[in-house]
Amino acid sequence: MKHTCKALIVTSALFAGNLHAEIVFNGFSSIVGGVTTSSKDELYGYDDSFDFKNDSLFALQASADLTDGIGVTAQIISRGKNDWDVDFEWAYISYDATDDLRFLVGRQRAPFYMYSDFLDVSYAYTWITPPAGVYDLIFDTFDGVGAIYSTSLGEFDSTFQVMYGRNTDKLDVFGETVSPDFKDLLGGSFTLTRDWLTLRAGIFQADTTIPHSGINEIAYGWQQAGFTDVASDVLIEEDKALFVELGFQLDFENFLIVGEYTELTLDDMAIADEESYYVMAGWRFSNMLLHVTYGVDENSKNDLTAGVPWGLDPGIDFLKASTQGLVNQQKADESYITLGLRWNFHESAALKFEYTDFSDDLNSLHDAGVFRTALVTVF
Amino acid sequence: MKLLNKYKIKLSLITFFLVYSVGALADVAVIVNSANTAAIDEGDIPRIFLGKIKSYSTGDKVTLVNLNSDQSARAEFEDKVLNKSATQIKAYWSKLMFSGKAKPPKELENDKAVIDFIQSNPGAIGYISAESVTDSVKVIKTY
Repeated sequence: MKHTCKALIVTSALFAGNLHAEIVFNGFSSIVGGVTTSSKDELYGYDDSFDFKNDSLFALQASADLTDGIGVTAQIISRGKNDWDVDFEWAYISYDATDDLRFLVGRQRAPFYMYSDFLDVSYAYTWITPPAGVYDLIFDTFDGVGAIYSTSLGEFDSTFQVMYGRNTDKLDVFGETVSPDFKDLLGGSFTLTRDWLTLRAGIFQADTTIPHSGINEIAYGWQQAGFTDVASDVLIEEDKALFVELGFQLDFENFLIVGEYTELTLDDMAIADEESYYVMAGWRFSNMLLHVTYGVDENSKNDLTAGVPWGLDPGIDFLKASTQGLVNQQKADESYITLGLRWNFHESAALKFEYTDFSDDLNSLHDAGVFRTALVTVF
Repeated sequence: MKLLNKYKIKLSLITFFLVYSVGALADVAVIVNSANTAAIDEGDIPRIFLGKIKSYSTGDKVTLVNLNSDQSARAEFEDKVLNKSATQIKAYWSKLMFSGKAKPPKELENDKAVIDFIQSNPGAIGYISAESVTDSVKVIKTY
Protein backbone atom coordinates (compact mmCIF):
# COMPACT_ATOMS: atom_id res chain seq x y z
CA MET A 1 0.00 0.00 0.00
CA LYS A 2 2.76 2.31 0.95
CA HIS A 3 4.57 1.54 -2.28
CA THR A 4 1.49 2.14 -4.35
CA CYS A 5 1.17 5.52 -2.73
CA LYS A 6 4.75 6.38 -3.51
CA ALA A 7 4.38 5.19 -7.07
CA LEU A 8 1.28 7.33 -7.43
CA ILE A 9 3.07 10.37 -6.13
CA VAL A 10 5.98 9.81 -8.48
CA THR A 11 3.64 9.28 -11.42
CA SER A 12 1.63 12.38 -10.70
CA ALA A 13 4.81 14.39 -10.22
CA LEU A 14 5.99 13.18 -13.61
CA PHE A 15 2.67 14.05 -15.19
CA ALA A 16 2.72 17.45 -13.57
CA GLY A 17 6.12 18.04 -15.07
CA ASN A 18 5.34 16.75 -18.51
CA LEU A 19 1.75 17.48 -19.30
CA HIS A 20 0.84 20.53 -17.28
CA ALA A 21 2.35 23.93 -17.57
CA GLU A 22 3.16 25.71 -14.35
CA ILE A 23 0.26 27.86 -13.20
CA VAL A 24 1.20 31.24 -11.80
CA PHE A 25 -1.17 33.01 -9.43
CA ASN A 26 -1.24 36.75 -8.89
CA GLY A 27 -3.84 39.02 -7.44
CA PHE A 28 -4.89 42.43 -6.24
CA SER A 29 -7.40 43.87 -3.84
CA SER A 30 -9.01 47.13 -2.81
CA ILE A 31 -10.76 47.59 0.49
CA VAL A 32 -12.56 50.90 0.21
CA GLY A 33 -14.57 52.70 2.83
CA GLY A 34 -16.60 55.81 2.10
CA VAL A 35 -19.21 58.18 3.46
CA THR A 36 -20.91 61.35 2.25
CA THR A 37 -20.23 64.42 4.28
CA SER A 38 -23.83 65.54 4.66
CA SER A 39 -26.86 63.49 5.67
CA LYS A 40 -28.88 64.21 2.53
CA ASP A 41 -26.02 63.54 0.11
CA GLU A 42 -25.71 60.52 -2.11
CA LEU A 43 -22.78 60.06 -4.46
CA TYR A 44 -21.04 57.21 -6.29
CA GLY A 45 -23.11 54.69 -4.31
CA TYR A 46 -22.33 56.21 -0.90
CA ASP A 47 -24.59 57.85 1.64
CA ASP A 48 -24.11 59.23 5.14
CA SER A 49 -23.50 55.78 6.68
CA PHE A 50 -19.93 54.54 6.36
CA ASP A 51 -19.80 51.81 3.69
CA PHE A 52 -17.02 49.32 3.10
CA LYS A 53 -18.61 47.34 0.30
CA ASN A 54 -19.35 49.56 -2.67
CA ASP A 55 -15.88 49.88 -4.21
CA SER A 56 -14.15 46.96 -2.50
CA LEU A 57 -12.93 44.10 -4.62
CA PHE A 58 -10.71 41.08 -4.53
CA ALA A 59 -9.12 39.55 -7.64
CA LEU A 60 -7.11 36.50 -8.52
CA GLN A 61 -5.34 35.86 -11.79
CA ALA A 62 -4.12 32.46 -12.88
CA SER A 63 -1.93 32.15 -15.92
CA ALA A 64 0.01 29.39 -17.56
CA ASP A 65 2.51 29.47 -20.37
CA LEU A 66 2.07 26.64 -22.79
CA THR A 67 4.85 26.29 -25.29
CA ASP A 68 5.22 28.05 -28.66
CA GLY A 69 4.09 31.47 -27.47
CA ILE A 70 0.68 30.32 -26.28
CA GLY A 71 -0.58 31.31 -22.86
CA VAL A 72 -3.83 30.94 -20.93
CA THR A 73 -5.02 33.51 -18.41
CA ALA A 74 -8.12 33.87 -16.26
CA GLN A 75 -8.83 36.76 -13.92
CA ILE A 76 -11.72 36.49 -11.53
CA ILE A 77 -12.98 39.43 -9.51
CA SER A 78 -15.28 39.39 -6.56
CA ARG A 79 -16.91 42.79 -6.04
CA GLY A 80 -18.58 44.08 -2.92
CA LYS A 81 -21.18 45.94 -4.93
CA ASN A 82 -22.29 42.65 -6.53
CA ASP A 83 -22.64 41.09 -3.06
CA TRP A 84 -19.17 39.62 -3.57
CA ASP A 85 -20.34 37.49 -6.50
CA VAL A 86 -17.39 36.26 -8.52
CA ASP A 87 -17.10 37.19 -12.21
CA PHE A 88 -14.63 36.24 -14.88
CA GLU A 89 -13.33 39.63 -15.88
CA TRP A 90 -10.70 38.23 -18.23
CA ALA A 91 -10.46 34.69 -19.62
CA TYR A 92 -8.36 34.40 -22.73
CA ILE A 93 -5.79 32.52 -24.70
CA SER A 94 -2.88 34.62 -25.87
CA TYR A 95 -0.59 33.95 -28.76
CA ASP A 96 2.69 35.75 -29.33
CA ALA A 97 3.06 35.72 -33.09
CA THR A 98 6.29 37.76 -32.85
CA ASP A 99 8.04 39.84 -30.19
CA ASP A 100 5.86 42.77 -31.21
CA LEU A 101 2.55 41.15 -31.97
CA ARG A 102 0.24 39.42 -29.51
CA PHE A 103 -3.26 38.09 -30.11
CA LEU A 104 -5.83 37.61 -27.36
CA VAL A 105 -8.87 35.42 -27.94
CA GLY A 106 -11.64 35.23 -25.37
CA ARG A 107 -12.99 37.47 -22.65
CA GLN A 108 -10.95 40.62 -22.25
CA ARG A 109 -11.09 44.32 -21.49
CA ALA A 110 -12.02 46.75 -24.25
CA PRO A 111 -9.27 49.42 -24.31
CA PHE A 112 -11.79 52.28 -24.10
CA TYR A 113 -9.79 54.46 -21.72
CA MET A 114 -6.20 55.14 -20.70
CA TYR A 115 -6.67 53.09 -17.52
CA SER A 116 -8.96 50.40 -19.03
CA ASP A 117 -6.38 47.65 -19.02
CA PHE A 118 -5.94 47.81 -15.26
CA LEU A 119 -9.18 49.54 -14.28
CA ASP A 120 -9.56 47.47 -11.12
CA VAL A 121 -5.89 47.45 -10.09
CA SER A 122 -6.01 50.49 -7.86
CA TYR A 123 -2.40 49.93 -6.80
CA ALA A 124 -1.35 50.73 -10.39
CA TYR A 125 -2.68 54.31 -10.39
CA THR A 126 -3.14 57.39 -8.29
CA TRP A 127 -6.82 57.55 -7.35
CA ILE A 128 -8.93 55.02 -5.46
CA THR A 129 -10.90 54.56 -8.71
CA PRO A 130 -10.47 56.53 -11.96
CA PRO A 131 -12.73 59.62 -12.27
CA ALA A 132 -16.30 58.32 -12.50
CA GLY A 133 -17.43 61.09 -14.86
CA VAL A 134 -15.19 59.79 -17.66
CA TYR A 135 -15.05 56.13 -16.65
CA ASP A 136 -18.77 55.48 -16.95
CA LEU A 137 -19.53 53.45 -20.06
CA ILE A 138 -22.04 50.74 -19.12
CA PHE A 139 -19.65 47.90 -19.84
CA ASP A 140 -15.89 47.38 -19.87
CA THR A 141 -15.25 43.87 -21.16
CA PHE A 142 -16.12 41.95 -24.29
CA ASP A 143 -15.86 38.48 -25.77
CA GLY A 144 -13.91 38.34 -28.98
CA VAL A 145 -10.47 38.85 -30.43
CA GLY A 146 -7.85 41.48 -29.78
CA ALA A 147 -4.44 42.21 -31.21
CA ILE A 148 -1.68 44.22 -29.56
CA TYR A 149 1.17 45.51 -31.67
CA SER A 150 4.02 47.18 -29.76
CA THR A 151 6.91 48.73 -31.56
CA SER A 152 9.46 51.53 -31.44
CA LEU A 153 9.13 54.58 -33.65
CA GLY A 154 12.48 56.30 -33.26
CA GLU A 155 12.69 57.22 -29.59
CA PHE A 156 8.97 56.59 -29.06
CA ASP A 157 7.44 53.32 -27.95
CA SER A 158 4.07 52.78 -29.51
CA THR A 159 1.27 50.34 -28.82
CA PHE A 160 -1.49 49.78 -31.31
CA GLN A 161 -4.42 47.74 -30.10
CA VAL A 162 -7.42 46.61 -32.14
CA MET A 163 -10.44 44.58 -31.08
CA TYR A 164 -13.56 42.96 -32.43
CA GLY A 165 -16.24 41.26 -30.40
CA ARG A 166 -19.53 41.41 -28.60
CA ASN A 167 -20.96 41.95 -25.13
CA THR A 168 -24.29 40.52 -23.98
CA ASP A 169 -23.82 40.73 -20.21
CA LYS A 170 -26.92 41.65 -18.21
CA LEU A 171 -26.90 45.16 -16.81
CA ASP A 172 -29.05 47.71 -15.02
CA VAL A 173 -30.53 50.48 -17.14
CA PHE A 174 -32.85 53.01 -15.47
CA GLY A 175 -33.52 50.64 -12.61
CA GLU A 176 -34.32 47.65 -14.78
CA THR A 177 -32.12 44.59 -15.38
CA VAL A 178 -31.89 44.12 -19.13
CA SER A 179 -30.12 41.76 -21.53
CA PRO A 180 -28.41 44.10 -23.98
CA ASP A 181 -26.56 43.21 -27.13
CA PHE A 182 -23.52 45.24 -28.11
CA LYS A 183 -22.52 43.54 -31.31
CA ASP A 184 -19.96 44.26 -33.99
CA LEU A 185 -18.03 45.98 -31.27
CA LEU A 186 -15.06 47.23 -33.23
CA GLY A 187 -12.34 49.63 -32.30
CA GLY A 188 -8.77 50.42 -31.58
CA SER A 189 -6.44 52.52 -29.51
CA PHE A 190 -3.02 53.97 -30.12
CA THR A 191 -0.53 54.87 -27.39
CA LEU A 192 2.73 56.72 -27.87
CA THR A 193 5.25 56.90 -25.02
CA ARG A 194 8.60 58.57 -24.71
CA ASP A 195 10.32 59.03 -21.40
CA TRP A 196 7.90 61.25 -19.43
CA LEU A 197 5.33 61.72 -22.19
CA THR A 198 2.36 59.48 -23.05
CA LEU A 199 -0.25 60.29 -25.69
CA ARG A 200 -3.27 58.13 -26.36
CA ALA A 201 -6.29 58.01 -28.67
CA GLY A 202 -9.08 55.49 -29.06
CA ILE A 203 -12.16 55.04 -31.23
CA PHE A 204 -14.85 52.38 -30.86
CA GLN A 205 -18.27 51.59 -32.27
CA ALA A 206 -20.99 49.06 -31.52
CA ASP A 207 -24.39 48.10 -32.86
CA THR A 208 -26.41 48.59 -29.74
CA THR A 209 -29.62 46.89 -28.66
CA ILE A 210 -31.06 47.52 -25.19
CA PRO A 211 -34.49 45.97 -24.67
CA HIS A 212 -35.77 48.20 -21.84
CA SER A 213 -39.48 47.72 -21.16
CA GLY A 214 -40.19 51.39 -20.39
CA ILE A 215 -38.48 52.62 -23.55
CA ASN A 216 -40.05 49.87 -25.65
CA GLU A 217 -43.50 50.88 -24.38
CA ILE A 218 -43.02 54.49 -25.42
CA ALA A 219 -41.67 53.39 -28.82
CA TYR A 220 -44.66 51.09 -29.25
CA GLY A 221 -46.96 54.04 -28.49
CA TRP A 222 -45.33 56.12 -31.25
CA GLN A 223 -45.58 53.15 -33.59
CA GLN A 224 -49.31 52.80 -32.89
CA ALA A 225 -49.83 56.53 -33.37
CA GLY A 226 -48.25 56.26 -36.81
CA PHE A 227 -44.99 58.07 -35.97
CA THR A 228 -42.64 55.29 -37.01
CA ASP A 229 -39.66 57.68 -37.29
CA VAL A 230 -40.03 58.81 -33.70
CA ALA A 231 -40.62 55.20 -32.63
CA SER A 232 -37.34 54.09 -34.19
CA ASP A 233 -35.50 57.11 -32.72
CA VAL A 234 -36.67 56.12 -29.23
CA LEU A 235 -36.16 52.38 -29.55
CA ILE A 236 -32.65 51.08 -28.83
CA GLU A 237 -32.38 48.46 -31.53
CA GLU A 238 -29.24 47.90 -33.56
CA ASP A 239 -28.36 51.57 -33.26
CA LYS A 240 -24.86 52.84 -33.64
CA ALA A 241 -22.90 53.91 -30.59
CA LEU A 242 -19.64 55.77 -31.20
CA PHE A 243 -17.02 56.40 -28.53
CA VAL A 244 -13.91 58.54 -28.91
CA GLU A 245 -11.18 58.98 -26.31
CA LEU A 246 -8.09 61.21 -26.11
CA GLY A 247 -5.62 61.15 -23.26
CA PHE A 248 -2.20 62.34 -22.17
CA GLN A 249 0.23 61.90 -19.30
CA LEU A 250 3.23 63.99 -18.34
CA ASP A 251 5.08 61.98 -15.75
CA PHE A 252 8.13 63.72 -14.34
CA GLU A 253 10.12 62.59 -11.37
CA ASN A 254 8.17 64.56 -8.76
CA PHE A 255 5.35 65.92 -10.81
CA LEU A 256 2.54 64.28 -12.73
CA ILE A 257 -0.21 65.63 -15.00
CA VAL A 258 -2.85 63.38 -16.54
CA GLY A 259 -5.85 64.30 -18.67
CA GLU A 260 -8.49 62.45 -20.60
CA TYR A 261 -11.39 63.49 -22.82
CA THR A 262 -14.22 61.22 -23.97
CA GLU A 263 -17.20 61.63 -26.25
CA LEU A 264 -20.05 59.15 -26.57
CA THR A 265 -22.50 59.61 -29.45
CA LEU A 266 -25.64 57.49 -29.44
CA ASP A 267 -27.64 57.98 -32.62
CA ASP A 268 -31.32 57.03 -32.98
CA MET A 269 -31.92 56.03 -29.38
CA ALA A 270 -33.42 57.57 -26.28
CA ILE A 271 -30.13 57.70 -24.42
CA ALA A 272 -28.21 60.92 -23.94
CA ASP A 273 -24.91 61.68 -25.66
CA GLU A 274 -22.06 62.35 -23.31
CA GLU A 275 -18.97 64.53 -23.25
CA SER A 276 -16.54 64.28 -20.34
CA TYR A 277 -13.05 65.19 -19.32
CA TYR A 278 -10.76 65.44 -16.33
CA VAL A 279 -7.34 66.84 -15.59
CA MET A 280 -5.23 65.64 -12.68
CA ALA A 281 -2.05 67.08 -11.21
CA GLY A 282 0.02 65.20 -8.68
CA TRP A 283 3.14 65.81 -6.62
CA ARG A 284 5.38 63.06 -5.35
CA PHE A 285 7.32 63.58 -2.15
CA SER A 286 9.08 60.84 -0.17
CA ASN A 287 6.61 57.93 -0.39
CA MET A 288 3.51 60.09 -0.81
CA LEU A 289 1.58 61.37 -3.79
CA LEU A 290 -0.70 64.35 -3.31
CA HIS A 291 -3.14 64.93 -6.16
CA VAL A 292 -5.98 67.13 -7.29
CA THR A 293 -8.43 66.36 -10.11
CA TYR A 294 -10.97 68.57 -11.82
CA GLY A 295 -13.57 66.93 -14.06
CA VAL A 296 -16.63 67.87 -16.09
CA ASP A 297 -19.43 65.66 -17.36
CA GLU A 298 -22.11 66.84 -19.79
CA ASN A 299 -25.01 64.74 -21.07
CA SER A 300 -27.25 66.15 -23.76
CA LYS A 301 -29.77 65.00 -26.35
CA ASN A 302 -31.76 66.65 -29.09
CA ASP A 303 -35.51 66.58 -28.64
CA LEU A 304 -36.50 63.32 -30.34
CA THR A 305 -40.07 64.61 -30.68
CA ALA A 306 -39.20 68.00 -32.19
CA GLY A 307 -41.14 67.12 -35.36
CA VAL A 308 -44.35 66.40 -33.45
CA PRO A 309 -46.32 69.52 -32.38
CA TRP A 310 -48.21 69.70 -29.09
CA GLY A 311 -52.00 69.50 -29.13
CA LEU A 312 -52.53 66.99 -31.92
CA ASP A 313 -54.16 64.53 -29.59
CA PRO A 314 -54.08 63.96 -25.80
CA GLY A 315 -52.54 60.52 -26.36
CA ILE A 316 -49.76 61.95 -28.52
CA ASP A 317 -49.18 64.79 -26.04
CA PHE A 318 -48.76 62.16 -23.36
CA LEU A 319 -46.24 60.26 -25.53
CA LYS A 320 -44.35 63.47 -26.26
CA ALA A 321 -44.22 64.36 -22.58
CA SER A 322 -43.06 60.84 -21.65
CA THR A 323 -40.34 60.86 -24.29
CA GLN A 324 -39.08 64.30 -23.30
CA GLY A 325 -39.21 63.27 -19.65
CA LEU A 326 -37.15 60.18 -20.36
CA VAL A 327 -34.50 62.17 -22.20
CA ASN A 328 -34.49 65.18 -19.88
CA GLN A 329 -33.88 63.09 -16.77
CA GLN A 330 -30.59 61.99 -18.36
CA LYS A 331 -29.37 65.49 -19.12
CA ALA A 332 -26.47 66.43 -16.93
CA ASP A 333 -24.06 69.28 -16.42
CA GLU A 334 -21.79 68.20 -13.61
CA SER A 335 -18.34 68.97 -12.31
CA TYR A 336 -16.21 67.69 -9.48
CA ILE A 337 -12.97 68.35 -7.67
CA THR A 338 -11.15 65.49 -6.01
CA LEU A 339 -8.34 66.02 -3.56
CA GLY A 340 -6.38 62.95 -2.58
CA LEU A 341 -3.31 61.46 -1.01
CA ARG A 342 -1.64 58.17 -1.78
CA TRP A 343 0.78 56.81 0.78
CA ASN A 344 3.04 53.98 -0.40
CA PHE A 345 3.66 52.62 3.07
CA HIS A 346 4.62 49.16 1.81
CA GLU A 347 6.22 47.75 -1.32
CA SER A 348 3.01 45.95 -2.32
CA ALA A 349 0.39 48.08 -0.65
CA ALA A 350 -0.77 51.66 -0.51
CA LEU A 351 -3.18 53.63 1.61
CA LYS A 352 -5.31 56.25 -0.13
CA PHE A 353 -7.50 59.10 1.06
CA GLU A 354 -9.79 61.10 -1.18
CA TYR A 355 -12.39 63.80 -0.86
CA THR A 356 -14.64 64.62 -3.84
CA ASP A 357 -16.76 67.72 -4.05
CA PHE A 358 -19.45 67.17 -6.67
CA SER A 359 -21.63 69.91 -8.24
CA ASP A 360 -24.73 69.37 -10.34
CA ASP A 361 -25.35 72.59 -12.28
CA LEU A 362 -28.84 71.49 -13.31
CA ASN A 363 -30.01 70.51 -9.84
CA SER A 364 -28.08 71.74 -6.84
CA LEU A 365 -29.97 69.26 -4.65
CA HIS A 366 -27.60 66.65 -6.13
CA ASP A 367 -24.50 68.52 -4.95
CA ALA A 368 -22.57 66.25 -2.66
CA GLY A 369 -19.28 65.56 -0.97
CA VAL A 370 -17.86 62.11 -0.41
CA PHE A 371 -14.84 61.02 1.60
CA ARG A 372 -13.23 57.68 0.77
CA THR A 373 -10.25 55.80 2.03
CA ALA A 374 -8.72 52.67 0.56
CA LEU A 375 -6.18 50.01 1.30
CA VAL A 376 -4.96 48.60 -2.01
CA THR A 377 -2.54 45.76 -2.71
CA VAL A 378 -0.99 43.65 -5.44
CA PHE A 379 0.32 40.20 -4.71
CA MET B 1 58.43 69.39 4.44
CA LYS B 2 58.48 65.78 5.55
CA LEU B 3 55.57 66.44 7.79
CA LEU B 4 53.64 68.05 4.96
CA ASN B 5 54.27 65.01 2.72
CA LYS B 6 53.08 62.69 5.42
CA TYR B 7 50.00 64.83 5.75
CA LYS B 8 49.43 64.72 2.01
CA ILE B 9 49.66 60.95 1.94
CA LYS B 10 47.19 60.67 4.77
CA LEU B 11 44.81 63.02 3.02
CA SER B 12 44.99 61.17 -0.28
CA LEU B 13 44.45 57.89 1.55
CA ILE B 14 41.37 59.27 3.22
CA THR B 15 40.12 60.60 -0.11
CA PHE B 16 40.83 57.23 -1.68
CA PHE B 17 38.87 55.34 0.94
CA LEU B 18 36.00 57.80 0.84
CA VAL B 19 35.66 57.65 -2.92
CA TYR B 20 36.21 53.93 -3.01
CA SER B 21 33.70 53.07 -0.32
CA VAL B 22 30.99 55.40 -1.64
CA GLY B 23 31.58 54.05 -5.13
CA ALA B 24 31.46 50.44 -4.03
CA LEU B 25 28.22 50.90 -2.12
CA ALA B 26 26.45 52.65 -4.91
CA ASP B 27 27.54 50.85 -8.06
CA VAL B 28 25.38 48.38 -9.92
CA ALA B 29 26.62 46.43 -12.92
CA VAL B 30 24.42 45.32 -15.79
CA ILE B 31 25.55 41.86 -16.82
CA VAL B 32 24.92 39.37 -19.61
CA ASN B 33 26.11 35.90 -20.52
CA SER B 34 29.80 35.96 -21.45
CA ALA B 35 28.94 34.54 -24.88
CA ASN B 36 26.52 37.38 -25.60
CA THR B 37 28.00 39.42 -28.47
CA ALA B 38 25.03 41.75 -29.01
CA ALA B 39 25.65 45.47 -29.28
CA ILE B 40 23.69 46.98 -26.40
CA ASP B 41 23.32 50.71 -26.54
CA GLU B 42 23.30 52.57 -23.23
CA GLY B 43 19.92 54.09 -24.05
CA ASP B 44 18.49 50.62 -24.67
CA ILE B 45 19.27 49.36 -21.16
CA PRO B 46 16.25 50.93 -19.37
CA ARG B 47 13.98 49.86 -22.23
CA ILE B 48 15.26 46.30 -22.03
CA PHE B 49 14.59 46.21 -18.28
CA LEU B 50 11.08 47.58 -18.80
CA GLY B 51 10.34 44.80 -21.27
CA LYS B 52 10.05 47.18 -24.22
CA ILE B 53 12.97 45.69 -26.15
CA LYS B 54 12.52 41.94 -26.33
CA SER B 55 15.37 40.90 -28.66
CA TYR B 56 19.07 41.71 -28.90
CA SER B 57 20.72 43.18 -31.99
CA THR B 58 21.74 39.62 -32.81
CA GLY B 59 18.09 38.56 -32.96
CA ASP B 60 18.34 36.42 -29.82
CA LYS B 61 15.53 36.66 -27.30
CA VAL B 62 16.04 38.70 -24.13
CA THR B 63 15.43 36.88 -20.84
CA LEU B 64 15.13 39.42 -18.04
CA VAL B 65 16.08 38.57 -14.52
CA ASN B 66 15.47 40.75 -11.48
CA LEU B 67 16.79 40.80 -7.92
CA ASN B 68 14.52 40.28 -4.92
CA SER B 69 13.19 43.50 -3.47
CA ASP B 70 15.20 43.01 -0.25
CA GLN B 71 18.48 43.42 -2.19
CA SER B 72 19.86 46.95 -1.98
CA ALA B 73 21.15 46.82 -5.56
CA ARG B 74 17.55 46.67 -6.76
CA ALA B 75 16.52 50.02 -5.31
CA GLU B 76 19.82 51.42 -6.57
CA PHE B 77 19.16 50.12 -10.07
CA GLU B 78 15.55 51.29 -10.18
CA ASP B 79 16.55 54.74 -9.03
CA LYS B 80 19.68 55.24 -11.16
CA VAL B 81 18.85 53.36 -14.35
CA LEU B 82 15.06 53.29 -14.55
CA ASN B 83 14.60 56.61 -12.76
CA LYS B 84 11.61 55.29 -10.82
CA SER B 85 10.70 54.34 -7.26
CA ALA B 86 10.06 50.75 -6.22
CA THR B 87 6.31 51.50 -6.12
CA GLN B 88 6.34 52.95 -9.62
CA ILE B 89 8.12 49.87 -10.98
CA LYS B 90 5.75 47.55 -9.17
CA ALA B 91 2.79 49.51 -10.55
CA TYR B 92 4.32 49.38 -14.04
CA TRP B 93 4.56 45.59 -14.03
CA SER B 94 1.15 45.23 -12.41
CA LYS B 95 -0.38 47.14 -15.32
CA LEU B 96 1.21 44.78 -17.83
CA MET B 97 0.60 41.62 -15.84
CA PHE B 98 -3.11 42.16 -15.15
CA SER B 99 -3.86 43.25 -18.72
CA GLY B 100 -2.26 40.33 -20.52
CA LYS B 101 0.50 42.42 -22.09
CA ALA B 102 3.61 41.06 -20.38
CA LYS B 103 4.88 39.22 -17.34
CA PRO B 104 7.24 40.70 -14.78
CA PRO B 105 10.77 39.26 -14.80
CA LYS B 106 11.74 36.37 -12.57
CA GLU B 107 13.14 37.50 -9.21
CA LEU B 108 16.20 35.82 -7.73
CA GLU B 109 17.34 35.96 -4.12
CA ASN B 110 20.83 37.44 -4.47
CA ASP B 111 23.70 38.46 -6.76
CA LYS B 112 25.10 34.94 -6.89
CA ALA B 113 21.79 33.49 -8.05
CA VAL B 114 21.65 36.13 -10.79
CA ILE B 115 25.18 35.26 -11.93
CA ASP B 116 24.35 31.54 -11.97
CA PHE B 117 21.17 32.19 -13.94
CA ILE B 118 22.94 34.39 -16.49
CA GLN B 119 25.77 31.89 -16.86
CA SER B 120 23.35 29.14 -17.77
CA ASN B 121 21.01 31.21 -19.99
CA PRO B 122 22.65 32.67 -23.12
CA GLY B 123 19.96 35.34 -23.61
CA ALA B 124 19.75 36.43 -19.98
CA ILE B 125 20.37 39.96 -18.75
CA GLY B 126 20.37 41.20 -15.18
CA TYR B 127 22.10 43.49 -12.74
CA ILE B 128 24.01 42.97 -9.51
CA SER B 129 26.03 45.12 -7.16
CA ALA B 130 29.32 45.88 -8.94
CA GLU B 131 31.44 44.26 -6.23
CA SER B 132 29.83 40.86 -6.83
CA VAL B 133 30.89 40.74 -10.48
CA THR B 134 32.91 37.65 -11.43
CA ASP B 135 34.73 36.58 -14.60
CA SER B 136 31.93 34.21 -15.50
CA VAL B 137 29.67 37.02 -16.76
CA LYS B 138 30.13 40.02 -19.00
CA VAL B 139 29.57 43.54 -17.67
CA ILE B 140 27.90 45.87 -20.19
CA LYS B 141 27.76 48.95 -18.07
CA THR B 142 28.28 50.03 -14.50
CA TYR B 143 26.15 52.76 -12.96
